[in-house]
Amino acid sequence: MSLVLDGLVKRFGAVTALDGISFEVPKGEVFGFLGANGAGKTTTMRIVLDILRPDSGIATWEGTPTTHVPRETWGYLPEERGLYPRLQVLDQLVFFASLYGIPRDVAATRAREWLARLRIPDYATRRAEELSKGNQQKVQLIAAILHEPAVLLMDEPFVGLDPVNVALLKEAFGEMRERGSTLIFSTHQMEMVEELCEAVALIDRGKLVLAGPIREVKRSTGRRVVRLALDGKTIEAGTPDGGATSIPWLDSIPGVRVSRAGQDYAELEVPRDVDPELVLRTALEHGERVTNFLIADPSIEEIFIERVGRPPASAEEKHLAGSVSAPAAAGSAAPVRAASEPPR
Amino acid sequence: MTAQPAKTGFGRRTLPNITAVARREITARIRTRAYRFTTVFLVLAGTALALAPTIVAFIDRGSTGSRVELVGGEVLPDYDPTVAFQQLLNASAGTPTIPVGGQQPPPKYVVAAAPDLETARKDVVAGTASAALVLARDSNGDLTFQLITKDGVLSRSTQLIRQSATSIAIQDRLSRAGVPPVDQATLFTPPSFELLPPDPNDTGRGPLNPAEDTGGFLTGFGLSIAIFMAIILYGQWIAYSVAEEKSSRVMEIVLAAATPFQLLAGKVIGVGALALLQYVIVSLPMILALAFQNQIASLVLGADAAPAAAAGGSVTSSLSIGIVATFGVMLLLGFAVYASLYAGAASLVSRQEDINQIVAPLTFVSVIGYLVSTYAGTGLIPLDSPVVVALSFVPLFSPYLMLTRLSLGAAAPWEGVVAMVILALTVPLALWIAARLYRSGVLLYGQPPSPRTLWRAIRAG
Repeated sequence: MSLVLDGLVKRFGAVTALDGISFEVPKGEVFGFLGANGAGKTTTMRIVLDILRPDSGIATWEGTPTTHVPRETWGYLPEERGLYPRLQVLDQLVFFASLYGIPRDVAATRAREWLARLRIPDYATRRAEELSKGNQQKVQLIAAILHEPAVLLMDEPFVGLDPVNVALLKEAFGEMRERGSTLIFSTHQMEMVEELCEAVALIDRGKLVLAGPIREVKRSTGRRVVRLALDGKTIEAGTPDGGATSIPWLDSIPGVRVSRAGQDYAELEVPRDVDPELVLRTALEHGERVTNFLIADPSIEEIFIERVGRPPASAEEKHLAGSVSAPAAAGSAAPVRAASEPPR
Repeated sequence: MTAQPAKTGFGRRTLPNITAVARREITARIRTRAYRFTTVFLVLAGTALALAPTIVAFIDRGSTGSRVELVGGEVLPDYDPTVAFQQLLNASAGTPTIPVGGQQPPPKYVVAAAPDLETARKDVVAGTASAALVLARDSNGDLTFQLITKDGVLSRSTQLIRQSATSIAIQDRLSRAGVPPVDQATLFTPPSFELLPPDPNDTGRGPLNPAEDTGGFLTGFGLSIAIFMAIILYGQWIAYSVAEEKSSRVMEIVLAAATPFQLLAGKVIGVGALALLQYVIVSLPMILALAFQNQIASLVLGADAAPAAAAGGSVTSSLSIGIVATFGVMLLLGFAVYASLYAGAASLVSRQEDINQIVAPLTFVSVIGYLVSTYAGTGLIPLDSPVVVALSFVPLFSPYLMLTRLSLGAAAPWEGVVAMVILALTVPLALWIAARLYRSGVLLYGQPPSPRTLWRAIRAG
């Protein structure tokens, strides 16, 4: 049983934000939801949470339409972070938990535990406006998980966190997963996807580009990556139109090209119909001393660029711009500005 | 319509969520300095207002009142004209006049004989006397009066002195005509004079001219102010609370857990409860001050303080249980209607600075209701004019107008009940409109939407 999105369509006036999005998130997995800004990630999340209603299509959780699933099933960390500025941290957390039916004393105990775990135990009695952005974000995360939801939806949870806090957040993810929660998060940090996710969905301009377990997604690209280092030689890429590399024998293997050159090693793209070991054998045949040979799938970042046409990092530029001028920072919620299309 | 059906994911938690939101509103706001400050301020201001007659009397206690000097009193050899004038002036001054001034204690007059015209004139110029009255007799033996004063012809003092002079002159003529003083007293006894409504069966209505019913006017006026203040002040609280959630972006977290309707209802109830609490805190000392005005006055001023409390007494006496109950219901329902609409309007703006602009039309309607009720109360607009009567049933105006009409006895109890029922039915409608606006507005950032977009939002919901 899982979260199933089936043919979601959502239009805001003339803009089609979602154009038949369908994919499945297996229960208990960590799921990466990828796409450039404006691709429709936030709209999709809002539909799952029943903050917005789709024009057509349906989202179900364990077979029940999400509109009829009890609210406490969901935990939500929106892209636009917010807390009550003048309310004490503990009071906010207890309030948010109370909306999900968690008794106040239980909520307070859990909140203190989480604050300690995320290393901000002293902030329980501080007002939110006194906290740094990173610490506010941690409080927001706690607000999203305090009622121990079955599904946690997070919009860019790692943005704005320093490496120490990123590590703490990953730890929290691990714990949530051990408890059986399903974690869905959007991010433009592809290394996080590689590290944490078992499955992904990539959407672009409201359409699904690909979805499935990471392994299958990578295989579906029809090529593999070989990391290669030769003793005493630098592998230089050829011209984009298929020009010769600095290693003549490499050019003799059909379909292989240098996708990334480097001083220590190079990455080669190898088509699926070519055995990657052929690269190693050919190198040895030509008397090369191979110091590094690794067969891998293409990275998610490479797949993203290949399918979307631009790197996911552009997402960050937009996010930073948004934080400077708050009123304009509706993020991927931009289409929601059409007042004729109210949420829910 | 307004609430999510119980079977949806949100519906199960309608009541608990409304309670949770209301609770947060109360706990967050009650701790703010603004709430405590306004409470203390309103308690002080309210008590001061209630005790105004006593306070004014207390401030005036040192002054001897207006001094009128009499020149030529010897033309009335049979009695002391200074005593007669002083009695007449103070007796007239004590009668009720224009109700707006009703809070002031009646001016006191001290009448004294002056040795000569020059001294009296100097005293008037110096301000130690407010007027000098020169008595003489003309060739027919009739009394003549000359008043030397800085006051105008229409001033109250001049009118009172003229009135007293006329009384003295008539008395003098009667004496000269040979009518003994005992018969004069009978002569001046007021006749029996009754005021009856045109319909002989109509006994419940009081006077239709508000100027005649000081207590009723003050009651209607005071209660209208009370409702007006509650709607403007506490309506703004709700508006700010909504805008704060929106501008701090906390809204989206809350909306994942609660519906706009739950949020809205919780806010109206939470802020409403706080408003009510503040109201009780402010009203109790006010009511006590009004009820014990006489006792407080005699404690502060001594035994002769009774007249000072007259205005307060007339208000408390006209505060019937029915009026107080109507006020309570009108306050609650009127607040619920206005507060819902304030919240819905505030959800359309992105910044707190824009609130005043977006709620201005509502505030305007409220001001109109209040002004019309005040004008009708003072008689500037006829209280029984069809417009006033019709508006007293229209939801956004009825809290003001029906209350004024009822407290002046210009509306039958059934009319009050009808207005309250209409107002009660408007509460869910206001919540429904507000929830629709809220849904459209709450995740909407940027410029406030145009009226056309608003209308579409309400229709689309």
